[in-house]
Amino acid sequence: MTTHSDASGLNGANGTSTVGRYYGREIPYLPLNGYPGKLFVIEGTDGVGRTTQIQLLREWLEVRGYGVAETGWTRSPLMQPTIELAKASNTLNKLTFTMLYATDFADRLEKEIIPALKAGFIVLSDRYIFTALARAGVRGIDRQWLRNLYGFAIAPHLVFYLNIDVKTLSRRVLESRGMDFWESGMDLKTGDDIYDSFRAYQSKLLREYSSMADEFQFRVVDARRAIDKIQDELRRQVAAYLEPAEKPTEPALTR
Amino acid sequence: MTFSLLHATDFADRLLYKIIPPLKAGMIVLADRYTYTAFARDVTRGVDRQWVRELYSFAVRPDLALYFRVPIDVSVDRLLARRVKLKFYEAGMDLGWSTNPVESFRLFQGKVLDEYDHIVQEFGMEVVEASGSITEQQRLVRTLVQRQVAVTHSVEVSDDDTL
Repeated sequence: MTTHSDASGLNGANGTSTVGRYYGREIPYLPLNGYPGKLFVIEGTDGVGRTTQIQLLREWLEVRGYGVAETGWTRSPLMQPTIELAKASNTLNKLTFTMLYATDFADRLEKEIIPALKAGFIVLSDRYIFTALARAGVRGIDRQWLRNLYGFAIAPHLVFYLNIDVKTLSRRVLESRGMDFWESGMDLKTGDDIYDSFRAYQSKLLREYSSMADEFQFRVVDARRAIDKIQDELRRQVAAYLEPAEKPTEPALTR
Repeated sequence: MTFSLLHATDFADRLLYKIIPPLKAGMIVLADRYTYTAFARDVTRGVDRQWVRELYSFAVRPDLALYFRVPIDVSVDRLLARRVKLKFYEAGMDLGWSTNPVESFRLFQGKVLDEYDHIVQEFGMEVVEASGSITEQQRLVRTLVQRQVAVTHSVEVSDDDTL
């Protein structure tokens, strides 16, 4: 548990922890001055159940009186059409793919995440830079370059990583919407069989995610369990994080 | 940041499709603007100087980089004389420094030029004084290019490719 980071994350400046700060080189024109909001990230591979968990978590937080903002991968209004278009055509390569993601992220960071943190919202992020790092890592993009590139990202207050094994994941995806071209890593051209490609690609992705767990202080959650069991664990951890740090009903005390 | 990243994405696309293939084929590639434009423009817009350099570290280092230097007044005069409507972003209107396009252009591009002066030093670019006549400039450019081409060419000939 990284309980020591709670207070410094909230108060900003004096902490030894990077929580709530830029990971690397900051955006010079957007200094972060101990904003009251919190950034909670739910990470995990395709089809692991992130979106469901975020919906449930949001409801629960709102009932408890927190303002909640959501942001999700490739949801930037500026970039989404471009990314879809590029994915549909065959012109995308692994470098431009990576950079389009980074542009989408930069847009959401500036226009959604930072303003929400400033205003004291809890920001629930469906995926974060770790997805970009994992996907680009699998595609052989230089790791150090990627970490420099995403240096302008804010270190989240909490990162939950929904962990799953490929076997369970395959079944879950097949039961719901089926396997999709990109989620199966078909662009890597390891073979024509989408099932085999999915297994191979997702195994690699899972390894990438696991390798980041320590580096970025993931709280690993076993995602093979039932939805409500996972949700219970998320709520327990979020409550433990929020309660000692902040009471949303008594804002005057923090002034 | 998005402005910077969008341009970088475009650059990556052009690098991989338009620049690297002809280079591999042994052809000469002429690039109208290169990463230096991003370094000057993005930093003027407030992006971290080192970050943008690292971002573009995948770029090919040019064999020759020419910088056409011009005082801001000459630049403005030339554009206005042709009655070009100053473009919104070219004039840095997005920064809100001035509501007058010409004034904004002068402020923004003035800073961009200052940034270029550092870049020229840092990357050892060849400077062509662009306030001179076209002929003068072109002669200098040809001299500089010839030096490069001569070097490259001799290397290629000695390669002795069999058909």
